[in-house]
Amino acid sequence: MTGVWVGIAFWIFAVAALWFGWRVFVTDSMVRASYALLASFVNVGAIMVLLLAEYVGVALLFMMTVEMVVMALFMIMFMMNSAGLNPMQMVHQHRWSIAGGMAMAGGFGIALTLPSWPDRPIPTAVGTIRALGLELLGGSMLVFESVGATLLATMLAAVVLSSSRGRYTADAHEGSIPPPLDPDEPDSWAHAEPDEDDDGDAHAGHGGHADHGEHADDEEHADHGEDAEHGEHG
Amino acid sequence: MITTHVNPLLAGPVAVLVLAGGAYLTAVTAAIIRPGIGIGTAWRQPLQRVAVLLVQRPTTTERPDGALWWFAPAAYLGTAALALTVIPLGTGVAIADVRTGIVVFGVAEVFAIVALHLQAWGPNSILPLMAGTRYLAVMLSYELVSMFVLIAAALPAESLAIGDIVASQADLWNVIRQPLGLPLFAVVAWGITTWGPLDLARSPDTAGGIVAEASGRNRLVWEWGRHALMFVFAAMSAAVFLGGWHGPFLPGWVWLCLKTLCVLWALLWGADRLPRLSTERAVVITWTLLLPLGFVDLAAAGVEALP
Repeated sequence: MTGVWVGIAFWIFAVAALWFGWRVFVTDSMVRASYALLASFVNVGAIMVLLLAEYVGVALLFMMTVEMVVMALFMIMFMMNSAGLNPMQMVHQHRWSIAGGMAMAGGFGIALTLPSWPDRPIPTAVGTIRALGLELLGGSMLVFESVGATLLATMLAAVVLSSSRGRYTADAHEGSIPPPLDPDEPDSWAHAEPDEDDDGDAHAGHGGHADHGEHADDEEHADHGEDAEHGEHG
Repeated sequence: MITTHVNPLLAGPVAVLVLAGGAYLTAVTAAIIRPGIGIGTAWRQPLQRVAVLLVQRPTTTERPDGALWWFAPAAYLGTAALALTVIPLGTGVAIADVRTGIVVFGVAEVFAIVALHLQAWGPNSILPLMAGTRYLAVMLSYELVSMFVLIAAALPAESLAIGDIVASQADLWNVIRQPLGLPLFAVVAWGITTWGPLDLARSPDTAGGIVAEASGRNRLVWEWGRHALMFVFAAMSAAVFLGGWHGPFLPGWVWLCLKTLCVLWALLWGADRLPRLSTERAVVITWTLLLPLGFVDLAAAGVEALP
């Protein structure tokens, strides 16, 4: 009886995974696309739990959820039409992508279904996971793990170096340089300053300076300095 | 060890009962803790609010993402139910004792975050969207803390199943063995339920944030989910850090209830007394203080678990 229920559950999850995967490419809203992809992954994770790969399935749910949240966040930040209020196309080279996707799915389907896969349960005493780990990494296990920790530390350091302390801190942007407007000319941001008022409210153009009131004198100096630099470039 | 499972046919009603009762207890406790409200008023305040929201005519916005907005409160309440399935309800009793209980609880946490984002996105309104986006940016920093403290609690038990984690505390509760775990987990609870110092999603500077446009039954189910999640976090803390059903004289389920109520009181009291952090300060405190403390907690648990 359990087998019947597992079969029914498998087909429900499989159809739902495909349906949500299809919805990703027909919706115009970036948030809907991100979370439709998440729904597809959730159904794949459920199938993995059905296959008794319990940890892999549940961990897939956890990781994919966080990833899709981050993706939705970036989509809202960077897409011009993230709500999909105007129609848009999610893919480039529409016909080719359909043909390519179908060829890929068909190829994987054939590769998975045609061969006669071995059906030999592995005795637990063999220590499959340990053997697999040694086969993959051998004596390099320590090196591999150390590189992982080093990469993580590098990422954290990059975040620390590039983060600013926000608008409530007086020296939030001290020492920072705005990115160039023209990629070929590293100083091009300086040319974007408003030209019309030379000694007036020039810092209206710098978005980042906090606390105009408290550091009025410093700001004046800074502006004159930048104006002089501006003159050289201009 | 979990030895008894709730009958699958009864699991649904049991979950609804626990979530409804837990949400009501949470609402009453939160009302009592607020200065100036006695228990005579506190017991009926949540019921009055439910009645108002039930008959309230819902408002809507211009071009909302209707399907997602409708789905968000249901998903938020559903995550509370998902988390509840792995939490012990008595001595060796749970709805589902999966081997990966800790990870299932983590999945419920991140699903709750998705529900929060949908609630922010659904109404197509700028203040909910701002509050929700800000919430997501801060959330990424303390979600790591949650996994650190939960994995640290799983290490002495050598199992991810919550029943095994409770069983491993028969001699010594995790709150003594790993004193950092419970306070850090409380911070995560405030974040996921948008309560107290980490309530950046519903703050007054965004006129109510993600629920600024929610009304009627949408708001009712949302608040139910939020209060139920707070109760579930208290029950999880009782199971993972306070020894669960272990305790002298009284039966296990009484100990579970008592511990859950104590944690619930502490969580709501702290949420009421601590100030709401600004976004920047929340991120700085999380990355420079809470995350290293979480790592110390995990590393200490790892050293202790070495043979």
